[in-house]
Amino acid sequence: MSNKHNGGCHPYIPELREQLRCGKIDRREFLGTATRLGVSAAAAYAMAGSVFAPGAAFAAETPRKGGNLRVSMNVKEMTDPATYDWSEKGNLARHMTEPLVRINKDNVAEGYLAESWNASEDLKTWTFKLRKGVKWSNGDDFGADDVVSNFKRWLDPATGSSNQGRFSAMTEKVDTGKKDKDGKPVMSTVGTEGAVEKIDDNTVRFHLNRADLSLPESMGDYPALIVHRRFDDEGGDLSKNPVGTGPFALKEYTVGEKAVLARRNDASWWGGDVYLDKITYIDHGDDPSAQLAAFASGQIDANFRTNIEQVDVMKNIPDLVNYEAVTAQCGVARMKITEAPFDNKNLRKAIQACIDQEKILRIVYLGRGAPGEDHHVAPVHPEYFKLPRIKQDYDLAKKYLADAGHAGGIKIRIDCVANPTWEQNACKALAEMLKPAGIDLAINIMPGGTYWDRWLTTPFGMTSWTHRPLGVQVLNLAYRSGVSWNETSYANPEFDALLDEAGTLLDANGRRKLMEKIEMVLQDDAIMHQSSWRSIFTTAHKRVRGIYCQVAEEHHYNKVWLAG
Amino acid sequence: MIELVKSILPAPSKVSALVRALRSFALLRESGVGMVGAGLVLFWVIVALFAPVIAPFEPNAQLLPMAKPGTAFPGGATFWLGADQLGRDILSRIIWGSRTVLFFAPLATLCAYTVGIIMGLAAGYYRGKLDEFLSFVANAILSFPVLVLYVLVISTIGPSGINIVIAITFASAPGIMRIVRGLVLDLRNRDYVAAAQTRGESSWYIMLVEILPNARGPLIVDACLRLGYVVITIGVLGFLGLGLPPPDPDWGGMVNFARPLAIVFPHMTVFPCIAISSLILGFNLLADGLREISLRD
Amino acid sequence: MLFFVIRRFGNMALIMVLVSLAVFLLLELTPGSVATKVLGPYSSEEQRRLWLEAHGYMEPLWTRYGSWLVNFVQGEFGQSIRFKVPVSDVLWPRLWNTTILGFWTFAIMIPVSLTLGVLAGMREGGLLDRAISQISVITTSIPEFASAVLFSSIFVFGLKWLPGTSTMSDGFDPLQLLLPVMVLVVYDFGYVTRMTRASMAEVMTTPYIRTAVLKGLPYRRVILRHALRNALIAPFTIIMLQINWLLSGVIVVEFAFAYKGFGALLLEAALNQDIYVIEACAMVAVFVAAATQTLADIGYTYLNPRIRFK
Repeated sequence: MSNKHNGGCHPYIPELREQLRCGKIDRREFLGTATRLGVSAAAAYAMAGSVFAPGAAFAAETPRKGGNLRVSMNVKEMTDPATYDWSEKGNLARHMTEPLVRINKDNVAEGYLAESWNASEDLKTWTFKLRKGVKWSNGDDFGADDVVSNFKRWLDPATGSSNQGRFSAMTEKVDTGKKDKDGKPVMSTVGTEGAVEKIDDNTVRFHLNRADLSLPESMGDYPALIVHRRFDDEGGDLSKNPVGTGPFALKEYTVGEKAVLARRNDASWWGGDVYLDKITYIDHGDDPSAQLAAFASGQIDANFRTNIEQVDVMKNIPDLVNYEAVTAQCGVARMKITEAPFDNKNLRKAIQACIDQEKILRIVYLGRGAPGEDHHVAPVHPEYFKLPRIKQDYDLAKKYLADAGHAGGIKIRIDCVANPTWEQNACKALAEMLKPAGIDLAINIMPGGTYWDRWLTTPFGMTSWTHRPLGVQVLNLAYRSGVSWNETSYANPEFDALLDEAGTLLDANGRRKLMEKIEMVLQDDAIMHQSSWRSIFTTAHKRVRGIYCQVAEEHHYNKVWLAG
Repeated sequence: MIELVKSILPAPSKVSALVRALRSFALLRESGVGMVGAGLVLFWVIVALFAPVIAPFEPNAQLLPMAKPGTAFPGGATFWLGADQLGRDILSRIIWGSRTVLFFAPLATLCAYTVGIIMGLAAGYYRGKLDEFLSFVANAILSFPVLVLYVLVISTIGPSGINIVIAITFASAPGIMRIVRGLVLDLRNRDYVAAAQTRGESSWYIMLVEILPNARGPLIVDACLRLGYVVITIGVLGFLGLGLPPPDPDWGGMVNFARPLAIVFPHMTVFPCIAISSLILGFNLLADGLREISLRD
Repeated sequence: MLFFVIRRFGNMALIMVLVSLAVFLLLELTPGSVATKVLGPYSSEEQRRLWLEAHGYMEPLWTRYGSWLVNFVQGEFGQSIRFKVPVSDVLWPRLWNTTILGFWTFAIMIPVSLTLGVLAGMREGGLLDRAISQISVITTSIPEFASAVLFSSIFVFGLKWLPGTSTMSDGFDPLQLLLPVMVLVVYDFGYVTRMTRASMAEVMTTPYIRTAVLKGLPYRRVILRHALRNALIAPFTIIMLQINWLLSGVIVVEFAFAYKGFGALLLEAALNQDIYVIEACAMVAVFVAAATQTLADIGYTYLNPRIRFK
């Protein structure tokens, strides 16, 4: 394994190419797997023989320099990228501070501050080559020290970064020596000593405790923006001390109101030409109708998110264009199987049997997306195996309900966030569908802040899950026994063993065979109702060129320009 | 509260109270404004009572998303006011929504009055330390912007019918207490109060039977106005997403829900706005009419 | 007089303590911890515990309240959980924006409602009186959210005359202020008009006005010289109290038009249980309520020499 660290490509690549040639895998799958194994995105595109390179769509037009792109988005706090918990925060910072890896519009990880990477055969040792000639806005050179210091911060529990979970293959639990009230030792999760190793100024090697397929993807998530190595010493507040490698600098920032980013003139950016003079983020509050009004009166050029019911409405405003991204984002009406009445599998099966997934997709999402199969693996995931959906069958539902001891009907309650509205709409549709079977579903709508306080503990809740590039990533996070985001309290040793095995298989085809079993186990245990995969949308004026909707709602405006 | 008081009055004055009440409603005929107000309120009461008969559709049935007003539905019925983005008939939801508002608004007002009257009677009758304490608490609550109070309380204890009633009671009782207290301070020196005191009646008997019925005039007018405010409050909470939990229709919630589409489908928001405004107008005009009559007495 | 003001402010301080304590206790009741709000739902148990320890949240409630109170008195309002900046950094600019909104609302509402009220009250029961009274009762019956929706439908989406949101992101724009001010004025002017009318009508029936009319003084002069001064005492108090009303009146308007003012801040803070922002806003509200009430009382005395402070 060790001879594969530097240079050369992963031994699996040729086989992958063969599979692509024979049509065993599709282009998206090839790009995803190849880049994950360290082939640069450009090379992967070339291998796939695609003419579809990033930015190619607008190559025919000559980009125009200048202009101010006005975007409607919540201007949240942006103190420390490591603790960002909303895509909006990442967007505020991304044009100043940049990630090692970027997930592009095709859901493929491409090198950003990291130029390339490769993995050992056992997927436990990864070597990242950093881009040369990248400069910080304060004049320092970007290098391996910056990367090492960022990882050190992320893995330190005191930082409070969700990256600690993302890179859990580089952490371990240690006894702090303290005891809690019950006399049990207090454990702490810390970064494993020596997990992040600086080879030279432009090379960093990661030593993982276990195989992790998705290391590059994790580096592309929004809290993984790289800050300067002296970030903490210089105040630890990006909004006050905005040092970055990106082409834009923070000019003006009033939290909750607006943020203005202006193109840096002092140094040339490593990525070449940048066209916009300014990006202005304007906060319109939590009211989705405000951004509509702003579009209608020409006060903004683009937005962060177009709610699904507004997609058609936007078409009624002249010159607006909707952009769509097919994603693995979804709402999961998940049941906590340790809490009554959801500890009864028959009741859970009864709920599943009431649901017509396509109708929910149509009502809630106007058919924009794909129906789900109650196992949280999406058609866009490379290892997805198509299972038959559970059909709506009220006789069966009533039988299950009687078996559960609720022949006379039952009252249950679901927790749900107020915004975005599709989540409450989904709950409303759910309530309507459960009614004929005698299940009376009350909907408890709460502000986001309140819901996210109890998402792990509520007996029945509608949790929205964001897009993740691989199916196994989601299953590992949410359904493996005892993991911290296991909101259903699901614990199935058979499922865990299958998941372990899948995690070592690079071959999406091989993994798919396992996924059939995995998905069936999940579907049969009826721990969730997962009715649909949402497409997500953004809207922009037609003069905005080079803009697209990215799967994780990231803004990539470095190459965007405004036509005259 | 007034009803409660009447029921414990001795027989002769019970009749006279009833007659007086009937007479004052008969007097309402003399006030054109009052009649219009009463008509508007009565209209919505009838709509609420007969909602199952009048409504062309089931209010939560998801039929034809984004139907424009006047669209016919295959079943034979028509979406006279159109349908919302989930395909629910707007007219039916307005009709059923009148039940929601006409249940919760009077309930909340009644609760607020019960608490406010008890506080006001006690403060005005006993005076002294109790009065000082109650007045201080009332001032503290009243010095807080009322909507802020609602938002804070509801966002903390969660939106539900009962919590809205609690919040409205909490925020309105001090105002009612002030009015009652003022009236009691005026009435407590009357002869009939002194007579009852000499008879050895208990304090609460005197407050509820001798004083309160004589304070009813201004209180009824205030109650009508307050009903209007409570309707606004329930609407505003619905509009801010803190209203009654779905799916049951609530006018403010309907406006909030449909507003993201307002540019193309104004009917989804305009009709519930008209409904809520007309009911509030009804209460306000009724209060005007009653005030006019009470001044004439 | 001075004693009166001092007593009022003493009372206010007491109410502030009571209210702030109530808010603290209320928020203590809410489930979930601030650490989740700060670190996000994806944080681990350990990370949250460390954050709580580092930021003093492990202290008992009374210690936290006590130290907040001490800091508050010294002008330190604490740190916003949601914005991660000192509360005063967001509070003062927002309050200033609301002051601008309030100023223009009053600048339009006061002349309009006083004029209409005086006109209506001059001849009680006349055609003009009835028309003005009915219009005021109708406008008062349209809740702000309803008129915000109606005005947007007409002026933004229909006629395309006015901008739909009022974020002032390119600097102050009077055009963006128009819709919020309109909504506030339409909802509130009716009440002040009716109060002015009642006061005017009452003054018109007083003996000295009747005498003046009977003496044959020109009607115009009777109104301007004699009636008006007395008729405007009561509306003055009412208008002062409208300042207090405005603090909650702006919540809906600022939310609907994305105007970055005090109301929007308070709503956002309340929905996200941003405790120190809520506390600071609450204190501002109590202060404004007490101050306007005191000013109203002083003004009332000044205008009406028959009353003296006891």
